[in-house]
Amino acid sequence: MSASATSIKGRAFGDRVLLALVILLSIIMIAPVLWVIGLSLKENAELMANPNSVFHAPYTLKNYINTIGTSSVFRWVLNSIIVSGGLTLGTLILSSLAGYGFARLNFPGRNILFVIVLFGLAVPEQAVLVARHQIFSMLKFHNTYHGLILPGLSASFGVFLMTQYFRAIPKELDEAAMLDNASRFRIFWKVLLPLTVPAQATLGIFTFLGAWNDYFWPLISATKKDMFTLTVGMASTQTNFAQSEGIGFLMAQAVFAGAPILIIYLFFQKYIVTAVSGAAVR
Amino acid sequence: MRMKTTLLAAVSASVMMLASPGFAATELTVQRFFGACDADFGTNTDVAKAVGECGIITSMINKFNADNPDVHVSVTTVEWPGYDQLTAQFASGDAPDIVTIHESVLSDYQSKGLLLPLDDVLNSVGVTPDSFTDAARNGVTRDDGKIYGLPIDTWSLLFHINMDLFKKAELVNADGTPKLPTSVDELLAEAKQFKEKTGKPYFVQPTANETANLAWNLYSYLFQQNSDFLADPTHVKLNTPEAKTVVNMFRTLYADGNITPNLDYGTGINAFLAGDGGVHLNGTWVIGDYTAASEKSGTALNAGGYAVYPFPQLFAGDKAQYADGHTWAVSQKDRTPEQLAAIGKFLKFFADNDFEWSRTGHLPAYKAVLASDAFKALPHRDTLAPLAALGRPLPSAVQRRFAIQDIVGEEMNAAETGQKDTDAALTDAETRINELLANL
Repeated sequence: MSASATSIKGRAFGDRVLLALVILLSIIMIAPVLWVIGLSLKENAELMANPNSVFHAPYTLKNYINTIGTSSVFRWVLNSIIVSGGLTLGTLILSSLAGYGFARLNFPGRNILFVIVLFGLAVPEQAVLVARHQIFSMLKFHNTYHGLILPGLSASFGVFLMTQYFRAIPKELDEAAMLDNASRFRIFWKVLLPLTVPAQATLGIFTFLGAWNDYFWPLISATKKDMFTLTVGMASTQTNFAQSEGIGFLMAQAVFAGAPILIIYLFFQKYIVTAVSGAAVR
Repeated sequence: MRMKTTLLAAVSASVMMLASPGFAATELTVQRFFGACDADFGTNTDVAKAVGECGIITSMINKFNADNPDVHVSVTTVEWPGYDQLTAQFASGDAPDIVTIHESVLSDYQSKGLLLPLDDVLNSVGVTPDSFTDAARNGVTRDDGKIYGLPIDTWSLLFHINMDLFKKAELVNADGTPKLPTSVDELLAEAKQFKEKTGKPYFVQPTANETANLAWNLYSYLFQQNSDFLADPTHVKLNTPEAKTVVNMFRTLYADGNITPNLDYGTGINAFLAGDGGVHLNGTWVIGDYTAASEKSGTALNAGGYAVYPFPQLFAGDKAQYADGHTWAVSQKDRTPEQLAAIGKFLKFFADNDFEWSRTGHLPAYKAVLASDAFKALPHRDTLAPLAALGRPLPSAVQRRFAIQDIVGEEMNAAETGQKDTDAALTDAETRINELLANL
């Protein structure tokens, strides 16, 4: 056997081991999701007596019917879409503008202002919660869409990310555009912004997922049933103490709440993988 | 012409009547936990057909709306227990009119002047406190002697018993009832006997991610020793001989394998239904599920039957055990006489229909329901009725009881499972609670 044949054989073995590992890890990753889906297809009473009944029939769609049958559930989905979409759009606009400003414009106090923005990364939401709640109360912002969207717009991470991304773009592009008599905004809009699409996608995906899954602020700001987001609304339908009697219902809710995100993932898979791997920042 | 005039007059009168404020229903906002079950009971007004907490309360409110066209109740359900939301609503001046609050939490809001004393409202609709059971009346009456919630039930931890295993353990009296201990020594001896005869632990008790269960056990057995551990509602005394006795009792039971290890609340239910232990320490709310399981052939509870009792009297002090209850409380705000009348109607409706609520497994809050044949005919209620007199809350002026309960439960858990010495756990519990109460 030649040395190259041995090498190919060795590589094939290595590939097989790698493949087996990947399959094993995939199973470990997907198992909880399958478990949740399996539980969602079982009667609550059956699961209460024996959670392992998930491995055998009968199965039922009753939990999904009950979830969808909750009177306001589609309103909550709509609220979540409006809040998550609005917050994502607003964050992208503000962070891009701020990032461009910090990266390209010279103005007095720029560095101090940037440091102040960065301090925002170190301040947890809980630290400002009471003050923010009081201010929003005075402004009558609770139980409104803007009350749910506005707090998330002060996105320190977004400003930081976009600033760094704009800084990485060669200034020669700006200078070339200036020679063509382009205005500042035109340079931002036509030249630089299209180059930041990977960073926008990263920021957009993280912002949307964060807003979709957010629970705490909507819990205390959106206290009227018609203004619940999906997370708060779903939680409000859970029936009994510790939800031990409604495991199937709870799991159907989890699947229902997670489905839109899964659909988004299918459409934006490429960007999400890029975002999670950090490629956009590089 | 005359016909046309008559028609016009009729239409005008109808429009005026519809536009008249006198015909507009009074709006009440109600906020509650117990979940949503619209798919099954969203439009049901036949309360007798409803089952479970969610089904019964949803149907009761539907019926109230149907029976009272002059009042319209709009309901918001919140995740149990909903107090973060409620506190935020009070902070923003947007609290619901009527809200479910545990008796043990009333003080947190009442002490800040956020709840309406209900004495006048209840009097105006003929609901008097002497119609409440002792446990319910104590639970809703605060230090100023006023009532701050309409009680709808009393609930407590109970001894849920697998009679098949008790028979195998020879822990059954001549009349077929389970033999329950009358002292700590007897409990330890019976637990030992139970394990020897069945190979299973005497108690199914959740100890993972669980605090309430342990705290309620401690409170109950402290009451039975006349330990006034919250004589000063702002300063707890837990490092006492009485508390040590209770904690050491559970510590011994756990160390000897007489308590199921590593179970959380849900798996505790699974374990009891699978016949993995003799006594499940759980609340009134699972009676319906366990009764249903006992009636289904092939289940562990069907083999020898299911029984349920209040805590046994292990000490020579008061006959008592810790109890709490659900109430309807009313937020303090400016209201018109019509709104107050509508609130009174709503509260009276729940007082009048407390039997329906007692079908959930919770004990009724009204003496008349407790004494009724309909209630007595419900499964196991004969053995539970004494709870209406035994049930005792913490002193009414004590605030932050959920937080206190968490601390007690965490420290007692650490002691029971051998992670901390009993002394250290009780000292830490005392210190942590007193720090909490010092900063109200």
